Amino acid sequence: MSEKKNITDDHHHSHDHAHSHLPSDPELRVKAVETLLLNKGLIDSQTLDELIDTYENRIGPKNGAKVVAKAWVDLEYKKRLLNDATSAIRELSYQGRQGENMVVVENTTETHNVIVCTLCSCYPWPVLGIPPTWYKSDEYRSRTVREPRKVLLEFGLSLDPKVQIKVWDSTAEIRYLVLPMRPKGTENMDESKLAELVTRNSMIGTGLPKEIK
Amino acid sequence: MSRLHDMGGRFGDGSIPVPRDNDNEVTNSEPTFKYEWHAKAWAITLAAGALGEWNLDISRHYRECLPPKDYINFSYYEKWLAALTNLLIDKKLVSLDELKEYVSAAKNGSLTKFSNKDIKLDHRTWLAKDVQKTLGWGGPSIRDTNLNPVFDIGDKVITQNYSPNKDVSGGHTRLPKYAMGRVGVIHSYNNNHVFPDKNAHGFGENPLPLYTVEFKSSELWGELAESQNDSILLDLWEPYLKLSPN
Repeated sequence: MSEKKNITDDHHHSHDHAHSHLPSDPELRVKAVETLLLNKGLIDSQTLDELIDTYENRIGPKNGAKVVAKAWVDLEYKKRLLNDATSAIRELSYQGRQGENMVVVENTTETHNVIVCTLCSCYPWPVLGIPPTWYKSDEYRSRTVREPRKVLLEFGLSLDPKVQIKVWDSTAEIRYLVLPMRPKGTENMDESKLAELVTRNSMIGTGLPKEIK
Repeated sequence: MSRLHDMGGRFGDGSIPVPRDNDNEVTNSEPTFKYEWHAKAWAITLAAGALGEWNLDISRHYRECLPPKDYINFSYYEKWLAALTNLLIDKKLVSLDELKEYVSAAKNGSLTKFSNKDIKLDHRTWLAKDVQKTLGWGGPSIRDTNLNPVFDIGDKVITQNYSPNKDVSGGHTRLPKYAMGRVGVIHSYNNNHVFPDKNAHGFGENPLPLYTVEFKSSELWGELAESQNDSILLDLWEPYLKLSPN
């Protein structure tokens, strides 16, 4: 006898989608599920507060900006970052959930890198935090792999046709961070000033660091 | 053969919703969560996941398995909440009767009637004091196995032409439709990782070699490719690939 093939995946939960019982107003929907889980002791409200506070106030693109600025001023660090990003990023104490396997890809005058997740919304949380709405949008997910140049134009980024674009579709548990090029005229700036030039979009590849005026 | 979440390359989507400031310049600042309920839906999903009744691949697959009409109509965090609700019921953490009771109370504004209950925390519940520690650990997917990768860097490979999940019809996979049956080159080998096609269905972790594979834009989009120079790189498990005959 062969193994059971043709198990249809929807079988065990499509006959009665529990979610169809939820109220139409999403706010009420969340409230109902939250209250139920709290009362069953399956979640703790302090844990929810701690999680939200962590990603609203502590983990975000400022972390990634410090990594980039350090790579700009410290060539040895940059080598380590490009060779084993997970360890190099851990040197700055950024690690863990959704950043377990980091890869940093370097922009040069010949190559421009862009990150997307076409299947869901994979994103390097320890260095960039929670993804912005546009990153999770159908428009970004569907179009970036097929027409990255048109997509980048919508972000105000016009690339020379000679520059090669590499689009990284995060289909597994590797999380990518772009190392943008250091802006011209910043030779005298220190690491913390440089970090202020590093925008979130420049670390996804949909923008460039701020220029100095 | 795929589902709606697998949207890479699809036609018909409009402009990217790029946020702009008052001077119409692209802005990088946007609240982490636009509404409080977004934050709550996200945090509840993480906290319920920490109970250990399902893994990341299962929760991804539950979002993908939402009926197509719901997948299209739901906003991002509505999908998260719907998938979480289905998981809570299927994994028997909550009964349908309990859910209905709370939903009807929410609808008529009487949820507060439950609020004076003595709450006894379940032994699996994620405590606030452990949040930073658990986030710092994350959930690594690399496994130590003695498997050696079959392919070498530079090998020309062709991806499976059909959904590679042979165990479950419509089952979870991480090979996107736009890259099925295409020729690419092994760019790097990234160790052995838990195989989502098995893990999403509770068939075990089955760690397998994971590669980054580079595809020329023209291989994926033909004459529609914006530039012959551009390329797209995907992280693909070994069973998704075969050596290309030419």
